Amino acid sequence: MKLRWPALALIAVLVAALFLPAVSLHVHSRVEAEIASAVPASASLWALIVRGAAAVHPTLPAMARLETCSLELALGLLLALFSAAALLFPRRRLTVAALWSAALSLAFLGTAVFHWANVDASLLFGMLVSVSAGFYLPLIAAAVLLLWSALALRMKKDEAGESGEPRELALFSSDRKLRLLSGLLALAAAALFLLPAYRIALPSSVTDTPGDAAVLSRSPSLLFLALGREPNLYALSQETGSLKNPISGDLAALNAFSNDQNNVGGAFQIRSAATAANPLLLGVAVLLLLGVLLALLPRVDRWFSVALLSLAAVLLATEVPSLLQVSEADMYASASRQLLLLGLGKLTCVPLLAVALSAAAAAFGILGIRAANEPYFVNPIPAGFRLRFVAVSLCVLAAACMLLPTAKVSFSKPGKNKVLAETTLSGPDVLLFRAGDKLADPADAKGKPVYSPDDPAASPEAVRAGTDRLASRLGLLSWGSLLLVAAGALLLLLQSKWGVPKRVILALLLGALVLRLVSWLALGAGLNRDVASEEGTLYLYASLPLLAFAAFFSNFAALEELPKKYKLFLMMLPFLLAVFLFSYLPLYGWSYAFYNYKFGLPMDQQEFVGFKWFAEMFTNPANRDNIFRVLKNTLGMSGLNLLTSWLPMIFAVFLNEITRTKFKKFVQIFTTLPNFISWALVFSFAMCLFAADTGIYSKLMMQLGLNDPNNPTVWLNSGDHIWLKMWGWSTWKGLGWGAIMYLAAIAGIDQELYEAARVDGANRWGLMRHITLPSLLPTFFVLLMLSISNILNNGMEQYLVFQNPMNRQTIEVLDLYVYNITIASRGTTLYAYATAIGILKTLVSVTLLFSANFLSKKLRGESIM
Amino acid sequence: MTALDRKAASGASRPGASRPGASRPKLSGGDIAFNIVNYSVFILITLACIFPFYYLLINTISDNELVRLGKIQLLPQGIHFENYVQVLKIPGILDALFVSVARTVLGTLWTVGGCAFLGYLVTKREMWLRKVWYRLIIITMYFSAGLIPWYMNLRMLGFLDNFWVYVIPGLVSPYNVILVKTFIEALPPSLEESATLDGAGYTRVFFSIVMPLITPILATLCIFSAVGQWNSFTDTMMLMPSGKFYTLQFLLYKYQNEASSLAALVRNTQDSSALANVATKQTALSVRMTVAMVVTIPILLVYPFFQRYFVKGIMIGAVKG
Repeated sequence: MKLRWPALALIAVLVAALFLPAVSLHVHSRVEAEIASAVPASASLWALIVRGAAAVHPTLPAMARLETCSLELALGLLLALFSAAALLFPRRRLTVAALWSAALSLAFLGTAVFHWANVDASLLFGMLVSVSAGFYLPLIAAAVLLLWSALALRMKKDEAGESGEPRELALFSSDRKLRLLSGLLALAAAALFLLPAYRIALPSSVTDTPGDAAVLSRSPSLLFLALGREPNLYALSQETGSLKNPISGDLAALNAFSNDQNNVGGAFQIRSAATAANPLLLGVAVLLLLGVLLALLPRVDRWFSVALLSLAAVLLATEVPSLLQVSEADMYASASRQLLLLGLGKLTCVPLLAVALSAAAAAFGILGIRAANEPYFVNPIPAGFRLRFVAVSLCVLAAACMLLPTAKVSFSKPGKNKVLAETTLSGPDVLLFRAGDKLADPADAKGKPVYSPDDPAASPEAVRAGTDRLASRLGLLSWGSLLLVAAGALLLLLQSKWGVPKRVILALLLGALVLRLVSWLALGAGLNRDVASEEGTLYLYASLPLLAFAAFFSNFAALEELPKKYKLFLMMLPFLLAVFLFSYLPLYGWSYAFYNYKFGLPMDQQEFVGFKWFAEMFTNPANRDNIFRVLKNTLGMSGLNLLTSWLPMIFAVFLNEITRTKFKKFVQIFTTLPNFISWALVFSFAMCLFAADTGIYSKLMMQLGLNDPNNPTVWLNSGDHIWLKMWGWSTWKGLGWGAIMYLAAIAGIDQELYEAARVDGANRWGLMRHITLPSLLPTFFVLLMLSISNILNNGMEQYLVFQNPMNRQTIEVLDLYVYNITIASRGTTLYAYATAIGILKTLVSVTLLFSANFLSKKLRGESIM
Repeated sequence: MTALDRKAASGASRPGASRPGASRPKLSGGDIAFNIVNYSVFILITLACIFPFYYLLINTISDNELVRLGKIQLLPQGIHFENYVQVLKIPGILDALFVSVARTVLGTLWTVGGCAFLGYLVTKREMWLRKVWYRLIIITMYFSAGLIPWYMNLRMLGFLDNFWVYVIPGLVSPYNVILVKTFIEALPPSLEESATLDGAGYTRVFFSIVMPLITPILATLCIFSAVGQWNSFTDTMMLMPSGKFYTLQFLLYKYQNEASSLAALVRNTQDSSALANVATKQTALSVRMTVAMVVTIPILLVYPFFQRYFVKGIMIGAVKG
């Protein structure tokens, strides 16, 4: 009963949304006033449905070609209304119908929204169309209806359960039926791949010749798009030879205000004719079919099909928006997408329906599992075979990697840092010894050969000799590792039958790994460094860990379960990988310091300069002055902080003397607060408090007569006393926070010590001096040592926000200097130099840390690390 | 001597105050003088910490003309909220807010989840070469490759102009791992053992036994990580060259340099009636301050709730500096 009001409200919303502005229209300034005045400010859904394109521009006949998606809008709204109306009546079947119609309505309305969002960007008609809230309202209502009807279904089930009358439909209690339904839905979703995703039917009046309109009119299916078979307009015009300007025709008048940005014929100026296949979409199709197969096959664990279908649904849901939303880049991608962007074709609801159906298939699969009372995953692989299965699959994956692209060779002219040609060697190229031919006579993007016979340094023959050597070595090594992996996998499978010792298999797989490693190392061998360089592809690198893990698992193939210690290690592995990628891999970048590093050039074509950049720091007077200046700043400001590092301790000791807990807490809360705001924010505070004419500081100074009102002191922008000012801000930010650790330490002091001292006649000062302070000294010492070792790492955020041309000389610390000369100045020439500085800094810091640690061990017998 | 001081001083003389060691039956004259000075100093320090926040607040809600003339120093005058309304209309600021919130939530979950599980794993003595891996992880705390290698590495991994650079590289933070490990090692081992005897695997033991027990330290880590995520702006500055995924903090940093054009931007979006009113017209200063306030408010809102967790986290951290 109580559910009626929301349903009525939703109906009201849907009806109201019909008449709200759905799209707003802005006319290009170059459109003649006469034409422009006929364009309304906005159009409602009702107008779009009933009047079609005339709702956007009533008088211009050319407008008639603009698709408005009236049918989709009308159907979507009707279905949503039906769904809301059905929810008024609490009948189970009606609720199910509401669920379906809400889902369908979402698909229809979503398609229309996508269509208008595409037209959105189009300036074709001298108009900017933007979708406004009125368009989204029905969409949101439909989503609410979908959720609500699903919840209503669930609730009814529960109510029925409570009253003891199982009123469930037979469908929902039978796992077999549910599984069948899930399979059929997935099949339907897969079948949708064959239906058109766009529909473009152009009237013959649009183009110069009637035949061209027929060529342009097309309705590519999802499968067609997945295979990348869709030509772009340029390719089409090349193909037919006649297609000059297909969208001129009666649009000639409008072409008057076509400019560079909204050039109607612009699509034809694009030279690239490549349309890429969409592997994700293809993968979804395969997943759906596999899901159907597994759902319909009896005796297969249900989780498999559910997992596949869920994966398909998720992938499809992420892919479909980019499929429907046409971007500027798509202008050149495919004929249909170009026309969609121009508002000349429309989307069909097929892609969104496919999402809905695959999601429903997954949902019914899950319901089926619940109905079958089989909640846990049953691993279908027999226990004794699992580890072997893993090892064999890893072998198969590694072998697959060998069949995929292996290396990328890039060619350039000697001494030039521009890559002129790039060739990727595929697996078959390498294995069939075709790589040499593929690398012969590289040509640049325009088809011109890179090397000429006249050039003695890089004649085609000389390059060819190198590439041939590379190709033959790669081929042999790949064959070797492929055969070894195949043998290893075969023996693994037959291990128990033939009694093969595991050492043999291990040796085979490790041999494959070694060969693969050698082929990685041998990649460059033979190539002339000056002209060609090569790098392994992701697949080459991936095959190495795959082989290593195959060998690892083959060792345990006979066991039922991995030994605990390795299991834990495998769990740890992702974290180790992250540490490697983000902490150790950057160390590779230290090599830049030894080269004349230039952007965009492979590492082995960079010029090696040894310790030049390190010497540069001290031999070049300009650099030396800068280095000494920033070192002085760094040490000065760190030193000030170091000298006052006892402040938090004293703060804690005195705060501890306050006996009112509430006040103590109050002080603690508010003095820690500054630690939690960013330096950007601290700078904002500084900017307001110390603003030259309005800030409280300058007002105060004026009151005291220390500041001349006509010539106010510039506190923030001046370069005076920067070290002190910076010290002030960092103390303001860190004092209360630093004290927390000491307060914690004080709380841990044995109270009996105080009692004993008091009995001995110690007064308050005595207690503080002889008990509290000495017990805090160890903590102080550790922190002091740590800050000494961090003396060069005083960070850059603080100095970055406070720096300005006035104070740069005294505020630039080491980190900030490195940033200023590289990333900030957008220059790439000093990267090697900056890396050299970084290396020295890290070395000094680590040395300092170890010395501090050594000192601490000597003095206190305790390590600080 | 203020009334508050007197009250505080007399309160301190009450017998049976919180710490038994400090309670004395009688206060000498020197003690009273000490208390007065001590309380006054702490009140001053606390005021110095609060005042900038307060100053910013009154300057953003007061009459903008008075603010421009520097008349608003201690009390707000002509209170209005037009600044906030207008600042929220700056194009891109809501996107930046969204990015900031997203990186804070996702980054915190990712880091804390990762460090919690990793901290649990490194307590397992039976792991193969556990000490080696642990050392390898911890040692990263003490060295860094430097700015340029770090930048080039992220560039190579495709993290430039990528939202996930805010989240993914933070998976392992050695300091957090140490904290979690120390905490778990202090738990009674019998709990885990009994669960293992019942047939629970490592993941299950972690999620159903260990995780509920280590929530205090996780809460602390959450705060640190969330505050760090919310506050960082240098990563946006360096890693987002084409201007995607700006965060609120970075916008604040950027606006400090270009606030005059910003004021014009805000004024352009206003209608003409608002323009006529000098009191609510945005100036460069008002825009800057309001944006700063918008960035601060979330911290001020959550801070009181989480303040109590800091001390605990610091104490555990102190065990192993």
